[in-house]
Order: sequence, then structure tokens, then C-alpha cells
Amino acid sequence: MDEIIKQSKLFENDHVKKWKSQGGRVLGYICVATPTEIIEAAGILPYRVRALGSSQTEIADAHLSRFNCSFCRSCLQLGLEGKFDFLDGMIETNGCDHLRGMIENWHYAKKFDFLHYLRVPHVNDKNSMAFFEEELGLFKKAIEDRFGSAIKDEAIWDQIKKQESIRARLRTIYEIRERKEPGFTGADALSILLIASAVPSDALDAMLSRAIEERKDKKLTGYRARLLLAGSVTDELDFVKEIESMGGLVVTDALCYGSRAFWTQSAEKDGDPVKFLARMYLEKLMCPRMFDDFPARRDFVLSAVERAKVDGVVLVHNKFCDVHGVDNVQLRLALEKKGVLVLQLEKEYGAKADMGRLKTRVQAFLERIGGR
Amino acid sequence: MKLFPVGLFDRLANQLAVLTFLPEPVLKSAGTLLLKLNVLPDDMQNAVASLFAPRNKDASLAFLKMISAWMMNARDAEKNGKKVILLPFNFPPEVIHAFEKAAPLTSEVMSTLGVVGLKGQGEQYWDMAMGLGLPDHMCSANTVELGSMLGSEDFKPQAIISAAPGGCDVNSKIHEFVAHYLGIPQFFLQKPPEDTGRGFKLYVVYMHELIKQLEQFLGEEMTEAKLRKVAEKCNRCTELFLEMWDLHKAAPCPVPNVFSLFLYGTRFTMWGTDEAIANLEAMVAITKKRLAEKAYPAPKEIARCLWCYTSYYFDFFGFFNWMEEQGYTHLGDGLDLCFPEMVDTSSRDSMIAGLARSAWNMPMTRQVGGESMSRSWTNDVIYASKELNADCVIFCGHHSCKQTWSVVSILRSELAKRTELPLLVLQGDAWIKKMTPMSVIQQEIDEFVKNVVVKKSAGARKVRRRKEQDGDN
Repeated sequence: MDEIIKQSKLFENDHVKKWKSQGGRVLGYICVATPTEIIEAAGILPYRVRALGSSQTEIADAHLSRFNCSFCRSCLQLGLEGKFDFLDGMIETNGCDHLRGMIENWHYAKKFDFLHYLRVPHVNDKNSMAFFEEELGLFKKAIEDRFGSAIKDEAIWDQIKKQESIRARLRTIYEIRERKEPGFTGADALSILLIASAVPSDALDAMLSRAIEERKDKKLTGYRARLLLAGSVTDELDFVKEIESMGGLVVTDALCYGSRAFWTQSAEKDGDPVKFLARMYLEKLMCPRMFDDFPARRDFVLSAVERAKVDGVVLVHNKFCDVHGVDNVQLRLALEKKGVLVLQLEKEYGAKADMGRLKTRVQAFLERIGGR
Repeated sequence: MKLFPVGLFDRLANQLAVLTFLPEPVLKSAGTLLLKLNVLPDDMQNAVASLFAPRNKDASLAFLKMISAWMMNARDAEKNGKKVILLPFNFPPEVIHAFEKAAPLTSEVMSTLGVVGLKGQGEQYWDMAMGLGLPDHMCSANTVELGSMLGSEDFKPQAIISAAPGGCDVNSKIHEFVAHYLGIPQFFLQKPPEDTGRGFKLYVVYMHELIKQLEQFLGEEMTEAKLRKVAEKCNRCTELFLEMWDLHKAAPCPVPNVFSLFLYGTRFTMWGTDEAIANLEAMVAITKKRLAEKAYPAPKEIARCLWCYTSYYFDFFGFFNWMEEQGYTHLGDGLDLCFPEMVDTSSRDSMIAGLARSAWNMPMTRQVGGESMSRSWTNDVIYASKELNADCVIFCGHHSCKQTWSVVSILRSELAKRTELPLLVLQGDAWIKKMTPMSVIQQEIDEFVKNVVVKKSAGARKVRRRKEQDGDN
């Protein structure tokens, strides 16, 4: 785990450096709706862009505005500073309005060598699914055209199977994390998920196996409450650590850098792999940017609450994040109706100055749980 | 009619109901009389003063009559066997007008009417939404009206259409929240962010699906005959709208500033009806007369300003009228950039494709709902600024619009590169006065026009050089 924790704090980790030194290509993406299997099937390393709690945004603010999400501003800042210069291109999605604005400004100020826009529908219905299948076909073709290698169906199936194995290991990690005496902290789990979207899948498989072996018998005790963390995009290890330093162990989550990134699985595995991926990614996209499926998102959180036997739920959203800002209110109302204690937090991404206020809120929430 | 209404819709409906039975001469002098008697609450005083300014009065009355008919249609819907469908402003209301058993109601128009026509404006309703825990970065354009539905004993619709997925997160999310909270069905028209034929083809399919769902919900078929009746009226509206667009090109501009709002107010409510045609015809007639008379509210037209997003609505008098009395023409704003096209009425399919085209071209959907948020918006603003001979562009900076705020820097750069037009970036809430007061907005516009626009028009700025003197630093 020490190695995972160390590497997860780096933008260009040792695995990426090694990959690049061997002539490998790296494609950036941001949104969890990006089927990375297609990228890996082309022999390219998919790398999920992150900000790692970096809160400086002075360059980004000249492009985006103070009314845009601070996570996106932080990513843009890092991009324009050159932190992601190791990327050979970027995959854009219409994840949310802030994300689209971030990529447009990034590309306007500093052109990507390769930029492909993967359009993801907002409603999951028959016509949208057909459109998304076509989109994935175009996505595949764009990578083939740019990087000069044909992506064979067998190669995609291989990647689907590899990812399925990785997803299974991640679910094992969550079982260890969610059990009565957890073997992973919330910060550990976030480190694992961060590294999981920034290293080749072969290396990752081995790393996850070692982490499971190392922690399967570990028993964390002495915490005050078991929490579920859900909401906006966040890769802030420090934020999770601060919550846990007060005794609120984050035993599970519904974050897009967390369980929402790998929980989905599909039973049937034959036929056209692109159609398979379209179904897997669109039908099970647990994100409030999707419409007409709030009950599925609510049930996803409720089942995690049940499974991990949490004492309370912390719903968080970055200031100006509309999709989570509104969805969290709906979730709070639904969870409270079921008798689940909820703390709803609005915060600035990575802002140290915000931490004192947030700690006070968490502290009060833990008192509330304790007094129940 | 409720005797003591508390909700935004009910209060407005009571006020507008009066318009339906007052005789024309009384209506014409009502505004002036009310202002003279000084009986109006402060919040309404400015709106009434603006609407009843001599140059606006006739068009204002035509507009209010149309709006009144629109609201009464919704208020009396149940009595008349109709269901009220709540729409966002970017959905073409003519789709609903083509049904006999449905009445459209547009969230953003309701918020705007509440802000200009009610004592206390929209703030109490905004607070009701905040009271449920909704974030303060919601869009007041719809949250004012929806707050009233969520938090007060107000009129409620029977279903909601959401046309903003793909165009605006905040608009889509608040409408979704309201549908869940009120337990009413929601129908979607999502915008594929794809500007080639493939995206539009899918959009037509979505429109067909939506119409099928509405037919099922309303228990009524949208027949070719009903559709044609509405489509033909839409085409007449389009002709009149385009005539107004052309009239804006004259200098000094013969179109009173507030007509900009009347134009899109018509587009968002009664497009495709006789009332809309009457209202647009009134505007065209007034403007043509003013063109012939070379009428302009100030001694000189100093600056022709295109607003690239919305205007400010919480103080009509301070905004629309003040600008033109300074010689600052309001050429229209982003909501006027809906580029209506003639609908091919030859078949049911061609008309539905025409409705889909109208929806595709609605403001916001067309611009920030495009494949690129900045490209479509920038192209439209540059096209309009050239067509209408603008001297400058102004961005009102409504705080909730994350899309425009995220690409306004690109718009500014492209405007400078491609047109050399300056862009003023303001900050405020277009519907709620407490973020930036009108006096501050006026001051910023004034400084911008006097120090940037006028000096730029006068020629290249002279560079003052310091005299070089020996030993002088």
C-alpha cells in the first residue's frame, strides 16, 4: 500500500514515466463515461486527469471564471502550467457544463496534439443508445486514424476481460473496506482508485493483488462512526484524511473517482464489443448528469448504506456544481425519509481555507451520530 | 380567482385578469393614472413607468394582452379540459399550442413577469427554493417561479418538459427536481451536442418520440390539420420577427429598447397563435412609424449595443429606458438569437421536422448547446453584431450561467480578433436586484460607452509620449 499511496500523489507517476520512456502513448480523459477499454486495446495508456487537491487557479481564472467549479479550474491551471504535457491527446466528454468549458479553454490556450469529443447522451433510451454505439465507433476510428493502429474486436474483448478482473479486485477491496472491522481507510481506497486510472492494467492487477493480500487481515478499530461519502468529483486525499482524523471512517463511497467508476458489470460478453461497451457505460452511468434515472442513483447509494452498515452519509458538492448540488438535495430528502442521517456540504475544491469550516461541520455531524 | 393569492402564478393571474375585461381607453390611461396617483409599490413603479412611456405604451398593451391570454389559458385549463405543461424557455411552445387539450406555461417568462409585476419582486419565491436546501448558484430565471411552486400554495402544472439536457445543467436539474418533488411526469427533449446532420437527425427522432409521449399523456392525437394551423401561424410570426430584425438595422434605431424583450417574450409563450401575430404586427407598425419619423428617445444615438446573453429584468425603467435615453441603443440580446425559419407545411413529418428545427435554433440550445459551447455562441454574436452594426457587445454576467461564464473569455478574444468590437463583462443577477444594484450597472455601462466605445469610434487613440529631458527619469 505504501507504494500505491506514494504513486497516487504524483501527476506523472513512475509507471507513466516508464511507459513513456518505452515509447508508449498516453491519452487523457476526465469523465467516467469514457470506455478506457478501447484506448487500452489500441496499446495506449488511458490516464484520468486529476488535480490532487491543488487549489491554485490564477492562470485558469483568466479563462474560466470564479463562477465555474474549482475542480475544473484546478485541472485547467495544471494543464496550462504543463503538468500534463506527457499526454499525447485528450478525450473530451459532455460530462457537465464546467468540464466542457475547461476543455474548450485548455484547447484554445494550448492546443492538444489530439482531441476527440465523445458525445454521451443525457437520457438512456433506445435512440440514444443507438447514437452512443455510433459514437463509440467514431471514438475507436479516431484513435485508429491518429495513432495508426487498427483496433481489433478481440483486443477490445481482451481489455474488457482484463477490466472485469480489475473491477472484481476493486470490489474485493471494497468488501474489505466495508466489513465490520475494515482493512482499508477511505483515504487508502481513494489512493487505490487514483492509481487505478493512471497505470497500465497489467501493472494494476498485480498492485491490487498485493494490496488485498496485505490488508485482508488488517482490522481498523477505534473510529467513532462509519460514513459514506458521495457527491461531486473529488480526488482530494486530504479532505478524506481530515474527515477520518476526527474519527469518521469513510467505509464506502458513491464518488466518481470511487465506486461509481468500477461498480458496473454486465453479464453477457459476446457479439460486438463496441455495442457491449455502449450498453455497459450508458445504462449504468451513475451520474447526475443523466436524466430520468434518479431512482437508480438513489438505490445505488441506499444499497451501499445497507451493505456497509454506515452510521451517516456525507453528501458533498463543489461550489457551482449544479448537477450534484441539486441531486444532493434530492438524495438528502430520500435518505432522510429512510431514517439515514445526512450531512450536506458545499465546498471549494482543494481549498485549505475551507477546511476549518468543513471540520466543524463534520465534528458536529459525528456528535449527532454519537448522540443517536 | 383566489381572493388572497400567495403564489407567484396566482398573484400575477389576478393582476392580468383585470386586463381582459377593462375597455381599451381605460387600459391606455391606466398606467399613467396609476403612476400619477403614486399608489404602486416601488418595485412595480419602474416597470409600469417603462411600459407606459409614450413610445412603448401601445406595444406594451399589445404584449400584456397576449401574455394575459397565455396566462388565462393556463389558469382556466382544468375548467376547459386541458392539462398545463410547464416548459423551459428553450422549448418551442407551438408544439403545445398544436394540442387542444394542453396549455403551455414557461418558467422563465413567469419569473420575469413576477419580478417586474409583483410587490417584493421574486425574492420571497427564490428564498422558498433556498429553504429546501437548493444551492444559491441556481438560476433565478426559473428558480423564482419554481420556488413558488415548491414552497407556496400556488398553481401547479400537470407535467414538465425538459429541453435543457445538453444545453444547460442547472435548468435541467431544477426542472427534474420540481417534477420529482411535485410527483408529476417529465418528458425530455435532449440536445445532441453534434452540429452535423447526424445530431439533427437524432433530434428529429427525439421530437417524434416526445410528441408520441404527449399524445399518450393528453389522450389526443396531434393531427396534421391541427399542426398545419399552428405551423402557418408560426410562419407569419417568423415573417414579422424577421421584419423586426431588419428594422433594427436602421440608424438611429427606430426600435424601442424594451421591444427586444417583447420579441422573445412572444417567442417563448404564444408563437403560432393569433395573439402573437397581433402583438408582432403592433410592434412592426409602431417601429415603421418611428422609422418614418426618424424618432429616437435621445438627441443622438451614441452607441449601438448588442447584449450577447440576457438583459437585466428587475428594473425595466432603469435598464431599457435609461439606456435609450442616454443614446445607448439595445439592439437585442442573446435571447433574440433564435433565428426562426419557415416551416414546410406540406406534410405532418415536414412540420414536425420544422418544429425540431425551431427547437434546435432556440436560444441557449443553439449556442451553448452546440457541439462547441464557444464556437456557436461566438459565431452568432459576431453575425448579429455585424448585421445590426453594433458598436460594442455587453455580457450581463448572470452569475448562474456557468456555460457562458466558462467561455466568455473565448468570445472576448474572438470578437477582438474578428470584429475589433469591445466586450463589456458585467456581473449580476438578471432577475434579482440584490446582487448588483441598477445604479452600479448603469455606471459601468456609462463608463464603458464613454471611455471605450465612443473614443474607439472617434479614431485610434493617440499615444502620449513623455518629453525626453536630460537627467529626467
